[in-house]
Amino acid sequence: MTFKALLIDAYRQLSAAKLFWLTLGLSILVVVTFGSMSFNEEGMTIFYGLGTIESDMIYEGSPWARGLYIGIFSNFLVTIWLSWIATVLALISTCTIFPEFVKSGAIELTLSKPISRVKLFLMKYAVSLLFVLLQVLVFCIGIFICVGLRIGEWNWAIFGAVPVVTVFYSYLFAVCVLVGMITRSGIASLLITGVFWMLLWTAQTAELALNRFSVDERVTIESFETSVLEQEAELETLRAKSPDDFRIEKRQERIDDMKEDIASAKDTFDKLMVWHEPVQIALIYLPKTGQTIGLLDRWLKDDSGFDIQAMMRGDMRSVEELEEFDNTTRFAREREASKRIHDDYSSRSLWYVVGTSLLFEGVILGLGAWFFCRRDF
Amino acid sequence: MAVIDIHDVEKTYKGKIHALRGVSLEVHDGEIFGLLGPNGAGKSTLVKILMTVIHASKASGTFLGQPIGHRPTLRQVGYLPEHHRFPQYLTAIQVLQYYGALSKVPKAIRTKRAYELLERLGLTGWEKKRVSTFSKGMLQRLGIAIALINDPTIVVLDEPTDGVDPVGRREIRDLLAELKSEGKAVFLNSHLLSELEMVCDRVAIMVKGQMTMQGTIDELTRDSTRFEVHIVGQPPEWANEAFDDVRDSMLIKHGDNTEELQSLIDKLRRDNISIGAIEPKRESLEDLFMRAVDHIDNPGSVR
Repeated sequence: MTFKALLIDAYRQLSAAKLFWLTLGLSILVVVTFGSMSFNEEGMTIFYGLGTIESDMIYEGSPWARGLYIGIFSNFLVTIWLSWIATVLALISTCTIFPEFVKSGAIELTLSKPISRVKLFLMKYAVSLLFVLLQVLVFCIGIFICVGLRIGEWNWAIFGAVPVVTVFYSYLFAVCVLVGMITRSGIASLLITGVFWMLLWTAQTAELALNRFSVDERVTIESFETSVLEQEAELETLRAKSPDDFRIEKRQERIDDMKEDIASAKDTFDKLMVWHEPVQIALIYLPKTGQTIGLLDRWLKDDSGFDIQAMMRGDMRSVEELEEFDNTTRFAREREASKRIHDDYSSRSLWYVVGTSLLFEGVILGLGAWFFCRRDF
Repeated sequence: MAVIDIHDVEKTYKGKIHALRGVSLEVHDGEIFGLLGPNGAGKSTLVKILMTVIHASKASGTFLGQPIGHRPTLRQVGYLPEHHRFPQYLTAIQVLQYYGALSKVPKAIRTKRAYELLERLGLTGWEKKRVSTFSKGMLQRLGIAIALINDPTIVVLDEPTDGVDPVGRREIRDLLAELKSEGKAVFLNSHLLSELEMVCDRVAIMVKGQMTMQGTIDELTRDSTRFEVHIVGQPPEWANEAFDDVRDSMLIKHGDNTEELQSLIDKLRRDNISIGAIEPKRESLEDLFMRAVDHIDNPGSVR
């Protein structure tokens, strides 16, 4: 009964806020724009058929059309719209919920009811996530219909965005609630949560960059070491066959260069690890916002092999083309490093990504609840 | 039976500010009890401790038969805080529904009761209006309705007539009398001494975190009963001895002994002194209050 009352109250509070309707309106606009894209036999149509972008690969019924459409949703609409813009608007809308809740004059009446403070705090927290839950749900319904109508795929995995974005938002909102409980100020909650989010983003981006560099170096070492072994074997054969062959000296020079490169890469790798390991360990205990949102990409994985991010980088090449490369070339090494990083992130368990983040959230909420229970109002 | 029976309640903020210093209090079933005190006396702190809004540093005794802080007991308690703020986005009926649900009143009952209470408190026609459009007096009435939504055994009202016009005050007084007749105990916390004097069965006066007086108004003012004899002209010499106080043409005799007064009047008449008026007087609640405040400020003064 209490939870239902708080839930209804939260809905009424949100529906009375202009920003809620503004965010919802913007979400619908994004969905309408997304739905304006379609495919025909010639290629992709935009603005409800006003224009056509002809393509041999992306056309009605092609797997790449599916990949592009779903890719736009998971890579741009969720990552940019829901995870950044809508989240900022949601934080602005909800940052005052707890400071208002504990404001003098309002809290006395609520606390005088037969509900324990811990229950009251946690229930209020849960219902406060309604803002994001409703926004994302409406958004996903729109996207679900667009995807169904445009590419004929009624993909229920799209609704995975509802728990993913809500959980992602809850990491930040927990911090907002704790600050609101301590300072009783909506502005302070918003600012400190914003700073926390930026620090978190910076740490995650730094970890990504350090990881990328260290994997690059590791791949270089491994591919060069393999190549050195192969070339040394070839060199031995060559020496045995024709000791005066003019290629021996050049081959030896090349092997020596590669050994120097290996030594240099090892040195760089060791230096990178000095920074990467502590950052990586610190991030274990912090919410994994980027990886949480990345879960959706895993669930919506495209069997066509279409990679929208690769397309954006201009890396779209055929498998045949890719296999032609020598694995010591820069491009091959980059490709291998990308694959390893992708495999590494994809193999991280749900427990690691969401579980450890929820543990952090639990600790923050525990602190908030402790303040709420101990405080005299 | 005592609905509130608390002893030695203490509250110290940050180990320095003593808001309550061993307060003991008893409120009986079905009575209207008034708690008086100047600003900063600790009245609201005491009420908030009872309502679990503030944690007592030390407390013993019972509230509706349970230790202070026992949450399920609050189901039987109605409360109107002093500076209340109801959610501005809700209508009057929604506010009542919301707090009724928090008090665990079943939906069908709370809906019916909400409409009845709004009618009882003169808010008919305002059920579906947002509380942001309500005047201070209307909000106060709504607050009382909220305090009654769970049909409580005891109603704790902190400054219930604050911001209410004289007509509204009278209506609230009538409502309090009705609540008493229904067998509910009412705990009033107010600055308005005349209001309390009119409705309270018993009062307590709190000053600087201490309870200075407690009892019925009759018990507390009994010692102040006196007769004021207004004469024409100068009082005789013997009057200074015979009366307790002589102020120009007013002679004062403390107590309620009419026989003794009668003999003094006879003596005045024998001395050909004209008597303009004889008035039996008793200390008002305000006088009592001022005396209590004065006693705490100047402990040596007459109590």
